[in-house]
Amino acid sequence: MVSEKPNTALEKLRLLGKRMVEEINRGESPTFETYLHSKGNIVFDENLGYLKLGDKKEVRKFLNIAQSRTFMQTIAIANKTRSFIEQGLHTSIRGLYYQLKFSLGEDVDESLFEEQSESNALIEDLEVALGVKREDLNLTTDRKGVLAGPIVIRDRFAGEEVLIDGRKQGRSGWMIPSDVDNGMEIVKTDAKYVLVVEKDALWQRLNEDRFWEKEKAILITPKGQSSRGTRRLLRKFADLGLPIYVFTDCDAWGWYIYWTMKTGSMNLAYLGRDFSIPEARFIGVTMSDIKRYEFLEKLTIKAKEIDIKRAIEMMEYPWIKVHKQWVEELKMVVKTKKKLEQDALQGQRLTFVGEYIKEKIEKGEFLP
Amino acid sequence: MGEMTENFREYSITEFFKKNAQMLGFSGKIRSLTTIVHEYTTNSLDACEEAGILPDIKIKIEETGEERYAVMAQDNGPGIPPSLVGKALGQMLTGTKFHRYMQQRGQQGIGAAGCTMYALLTTGKPIHVISGHKGKIFECDLTVDLKTNEPIVTNSSEREGDFSGLIVKGEFANVKYDKGQYGPYEYLKRTALANPHAQIEFTDPEGNVFLFPRSVEKVPEKPKEVLPHPLGVDTHDMLERAKTSESTRISSFLQTSFSRVSAEKVKELQALVPEIDFKRNPKTLTWEEAEKIVKAFRQVKWIAPATDSVIPIGKEQIEKSLKNIINPEIIAVVERPPKVYKGGIPYIVEVGIAYGGNQKSSIMRFANRAPLMFDASACAITEVIKNIDWKRYGVKDFENEPITVFVNFSSVYVPYISAGKQAIANDEEIMGEIKNAVFEAARQIERHISGKIRERERETKKQIFLKYINQLSADIAELSGTKKELIEKKLMEIVEGKYGK
Repeated sequence: MVSEKPNTALEKLRLLGKRMVEEINRGESPTFETYLHSKGNIVFDENLGYLKLGDKKEVRKFLNIAQSRTFMQTIAIANKTRSFIEQGLHTSIRGLYYQLKFSLGEDVDESLFEEQSESNALIEDLEVALGVKREDLNLTTDRKGVLAGPIVIRDRFAGEEVLIDGRKQGRSGWMIPSDVDNGMEIVKTDAKYVLVVEKDALWQRLNEDRFWEKEKAILITPKGQSSRGTRRLLRKFADLGLPIYVFTDCDAWGWYIYWTMKTGSMNLAYLGRDFSIPEARFIGVTMSDIKRYEFLEKLTIKAKEIDIKRAIEMMEYPWIKVHKQWVEELKMVVKTKKKLEQDALQGQRLTFVGEYIKEKIEKGEFLP
Repeated sequence: MGEMTENFREYSITEFFKKNAQMLGFSGKIRSLTTIVHEYTTNSLDACEEAGILPDIKIKIEETGEERYAVMAQDNGPGIPPSLVGKALGQMLTGTKFHRYMQQRGQQGIGAAGCTMYALLTTGKPIHVISGHKGKIFECDLTVDLKTNEPIVTNSSEREGDFSGLIVKGEFANVKYDKGQYGPYEYLKRTALANPHAQIEFTDPEGNVFLFPRSVEKVPEKPKEVLPHPLGVDTHDMLERAKTSESTRISSFLQTSFSRVSAEKVKELQALVPEIDFKRNPKTLTWEEAEKIVKAFRQVKWIAPATDSVIPIGKEQIEKSLKNIINPEIIAVVERPPKVYKGGIPYIVEVGIAYGGNQKSSIMRFANRAPLMFDASACAITEVIKNIDWKRYGVKDFENEPITVFVNFSSVYVPYISAGKQAIANDEEIMGEIKNAVFEAARQIERHISGKIRERERETKKQIFLKYINQLSADIAELSGTKKELIEKKLMEIVEGKYGK
């Protein structure tokens, strides 16, 4: 086995099997319990500041005609991931699907799985039921985020151990893996904060300025919407007490990226705190910046209908409408029908981006 | 003059045929062929029953050209004496059926003679007849003289032989064979259903042989000829009877030609129509007078008619027959007690519902055991069945479920909607009675269906669980480190315990 600490996911999987055997021995249908992760059971926890599942539970039962097939499929996924963990091998959910796409028998005109879409929901079921993440089940997800900065990470992988120095990643940076929990730990960091930059182009700009060195900051770009690995890593940084500042475009998509990172999303509400960073703060670009920096006025773009519509919707979100500043910002979008890209900050001179961020952080000018 | 008369005669008979094609059942190519099969089959059934023989009927249809078919019908009846062959099969309007007041199969036209005529008109060919009667076999060709309406027998021969029965073979054009609900196959299947004492073998134009086996080894009771009840006649019937009556006075004509008419009742009637002298000869009755008497009938109180003139198929017989021919999962048959409509016409409704098995949804209508194949939408039986809320009886989608509703209407006088005799008139009393009979049968079916559905659902569930047990057991075994066989065995037991019988 690769991991030396006890793998709780593995223990939970084995326990699931043992519990079902007990039920069968009692003459009962095998079952497992999970939380409902449909819309009706997703709540926004105002105190904690993120979306999570409510307490509605549901028992999945093999001897329930409506659940029989999915029950069998879920247990097949459980057993397959058990074997992945035991062998120390990882694969994607598509890889898992292919491992489980086989006929149920010579005389049965049915496969264990016909479509990958069948397995996706069941993996979530299993994550919720066992209280583990899919990464803990050795299922990999797409990597997207890139990091640079004063941090050293230890990565034990494929029988080898390497130390990753965030300061020595050159122009490309370190690609954040899909799983940052298993076989990976932060050795040390003397960063003061973490800066998340929506666009890769701006990240490259700041990396060239060695912004992370000057500012003692961990510089991350999720390259748009953040991947599971990136969000998980940001959560860990927040747990280390590092402030997380987010810098996006001033438009619907940018705000969406910020709020998903901060409060989590409906889709991933079942993962709760592990994948949300309520501590995150929004640096910009804001509508007020347009007034503040005169040159930006000429660099605005006409807001699209979707931006306006989205802004109106967002004003009503319970986790946004409590923040007056955000409501003001959104109202300005609706009123002026303008938006602004983060790239516009380079309009006067290329190094302005860094100065802008620095100034905002020093003065503490950010939105909640 | 002579020539003119001849021309006129020729014209009249062929025109009669053409003009009355609808009434005679010879309208439409498909319907014509079914009518031919019907005429021969009915003749055979009648002949066998009359002689107390269990009918054994063979029908064979061969394609001989475009829209041209040869039809062969064979029975095991008493045959026809050689001297009567021509009259029975070649002379129109000679049947004894027309003026008899008794329950009879719904003859659609002019019987087998009509078929002989149709053969002549469409192919110019005579029909070929073999009659085995009392140890002798008579064989001949037979056609009709259009000028005189006389049968023409040619190529006749007679020999000794054991065969008893009748074989008729004719060739017809301008007809079409239909494999579906209007064709000979369906007609014979339904005939077999309503006549469980008959065995019918059918060879279709492709050479496929179908056998509808006998379900009951008993010849049905012969229907009695009865006098009509005063409330069951109309002006036309009254005049027909008056013309053929042997009575010399209207008063005795009324007593001898109708049931329940006593001397006492004649006095009551006379008082209602004093202008008609009841001492007159009934042959002198005018249409107006007959109309007045029929009206007077309605003002007098009568004892209800005897109902023993109506002979149903029988509950047990229908059950056996449905089982034998449709082979459904569930059968419910209801035979209602005799009822009287318009105060004077006795009738009996029988309903059978066959559910499940390999069959399509169908409504089978019969009048006096004869299948009603056409004009379904105009028929009281269809209307009643279509208007029933079948969902209440566990039949979720009547049109698409394996269900047959069989309705037989038996009566001395069947109120057909038209001369085509293919649909029963939408009379309220009759429809109410049919509805009650169908309800009664449907209620029985409902209990069975819900039971069957529960059983089927349980079985379906069981099969699904069993299908998944192998895979699930393997996974649970590996997850828990237990032996797969143990888990599988135990799971099987749980499923059998919950969903087994």
